[in-house]
Amino acid sequence: MLEIENLKATIAEKQILSGLDLSVNAGEIHAIMGPNGSGKSTLAQVIAGHADYEVIEGSVEYQGHNLLELEPEDRAREGIFLGFQYPVEIPGVNNAYLLKAAVNAKRKHQGQDEIDAFEFLKLAKKTMELLDMDQSFLNRGVNEGFSGGEKKRNEILQMAMLEPKLAILDETDSGLDIDALKAVANGVNSLRHSERAIVLVTHYQRLLDYIEPDYVHVLWEGRIILSGDKTLAHKLEENGYEWVRTTVSS
Amino acid sequence: MTQNSLSPELLQKAVHSLPEDNLSIMRLEAADRFSNMGFPVMGSEDWKYTDLSQIADLTSQWLNGSMQDNADDHANHNTQIVESVTDIIDAHWIVIRDGAIDSHITGPHGTTIKKISTVNKKIVTGNDAMSVFNAALLRDGIHITVATTLKKPIGILYIDGPASVITQNRAIIEIEEECRLQVVECCLSAGTGKQFTNTVTDFSIAAGASVNYVRIQDRDFGHTSVNRVNALLEKNTIFNHNGFDLGGALTRNDIVTEIAGKDALVNLNGLYLASAEQHIDNHTNIIHTVGPSTSTEEYRGILSGDSQCVFNGRVFVAEGADGTDSNQYNHNLLLSERAEIDTKPELEIYADDVKCAHGATVGQLDESALFYLRSRGLNLEESQRVLTHAFASGTLSKLTVEACYDYLTDLLDNRLELLVGAAR
Repeated sequence: MLEIENLKATIAEKQILSGLDLSVNAGEIHAIMGPNGSGKSTLAQVIAGHADYEVIEGSVEYQGHNLLELEPEDRAREGIFLGFQYPVEIPGVNNAYLLKAAVNAKRKHQGQDEIDAFEFLKLAKKTMELLDMDQSFLNRGVNEGFSGGEKKRNEILQMAMLEPKLAILDETDSGLDIDALKAVANGVNSLRHSERAIVLVTHYQRLLDYIEPDYVHVLWEGRIILSGDKTLAHKLEENGYEWVRTTVSS
Repeated sequence: MTQNSLSPELLQKAVHSLPEDNLSIMRLEAADRFSNMGFPVMGSEDWKYTDLSQIADLTSQWLNGSMQDNADDHANHNTQIVESVTDIIDAHWIVIRDGAIDSHITGPHGTTIKKISTVNKKIVTGNDAMSVFNAALLRDGIHITVATTLKKPIGILYIDGPASVITQNRAIIEIEEECRLQVVECCLSAGTGKQFTNTVTDFSIAAGASVNYVRIQDRDFGHTSVNRVNALLEKNTIFNHNGFDLGGALTRNDIVTEIAGKDALVNLNGLYLASAEQHIDNHTNIIHTVGPSTSTEEYRGILSGDSQCVFNGRVFVAEGADGTDSNQYNHNLLLSERAEIDTKPELEIYADDVKCAHGATVGQLDESALFYLRSRGLNLEESQRVLTHAFASGTLSKLTVEACYDYLTDLLDNRLELLVGAAR
């Protein structure tokens, strides 16, 4: 589904990604771990199409097509979802409005009719229950005045409504207390699907206790230097990132 | 100075050509005073950024010409324009075309609506040049007395016809004790002629009364208007003002509120949307003569193209007006690099126990919010529209006259669509 080869990317002329390779297939959950500044969020932003990041070399193929030539909105409509590390507060834009507009943008792209208001509400309410979110969130401004946990739940709510093929969740666990973490993990697990790939970008192993990945990759100075199964995450937790560096270089 | 003055003979002649009635003396006195004042000159303290010289020219031309007047030309006005408002906003409507008032106006029960010329009362002309000019050439105005609380708003619809006309409008609205009144004022054009409209509205609000006043200016883009609102508040009164300026080539609003009684509350909210070469100037003046009293103010502007807007918010707290609580904000969204906003708070405080806050912001659409929306599948233009709308909704959410909510929502939708489209 996603094939990244030798990806090099810069922001403000500073190189962050320096030859990254990654292959993700449908039905898989990948965890990308790494220390601060290793390029985790950059990878997520480049896949979503943020204009501040410039790809200077390499390729990103999504479902057999060059992803890099698509606008951010077209990537979303083609089934890519980025769960933001810092979801943006947008006062004055109703949460339900955005959800509906997002769902309809995708449906229109796929040649479907707009979602029926009743169907939309039913789906939203069901998902919010799963995420332990109060329904009043629908009528509030997007992320406006939400706590850290509420923002992350809201991201998963959007993900559930948009049913992406490829979801990149950037530090979805950061700033969450244990209850919120469980609720978010619950939501993500309910979205596991044989036709959906999920990439978890995380600093800590903690999230992976609740969402079990098929593969774990270690990102270091803009490249993936080590890959393995879920046990790699435990080794990292025990030995720290410095251990990876010495393991790889020896 | 000369460019903004008007020939006194011309003005006198114009005044004499108006029908002789109760207003004649006021007109003549005002004409005399105006001849000494002239139109405000750009660069003077109150008119730093707004140039009325073309108004002076237009007025001279009009007075020199046939001084044609569309008062007898009502039939030519498109009734659709009237209905586009009156069918949607449920109110007791008074329609005024090119300054001409329907002869059969009557007020709903508990109110009196008359022509000013038929009210036996001395009219306070005002001291600023444009109010004096208004008094000099005023054909007639409306006088409303409200001694009840109406369910529906009183609506005043000002329509400017297609010909080049100079129009003076005047409304005097008196609200008696403990009454609540909603007023919707709509200013529209029936054509694309070069017009100048000068409107003065006076509210006097007796103890315990309240006024919710919504003013919607959506005139033709060739139109020039100067608009003044004076509100005098007695004790325990509330004056809510929601102004929406969407149209016009040049628009100048002066909103002057004077708190003359304790525990009065003034809320001034405004939204101005300017594109192309539009110029919109809002001057507000809140005078706290006594305390405790409260005023809040929030003006928002969205500017695109080569438009220029001005916000000048004066708050005056008189000596002894202790317990005054005042805050004032002006937020601007610039959709174009060429658009210009000149924003200035002006606080004059002579009392000791006072809380006054003010702030102004000028910015573009938030890039991170744009990306967030696009990452959810909304295209760039739609994302810009959504964010621009969100900015405007800050004013719409403060609307105090429910009856015009739908009308305004539609109007703003359409206008913002154009604004965002033009900004690209």
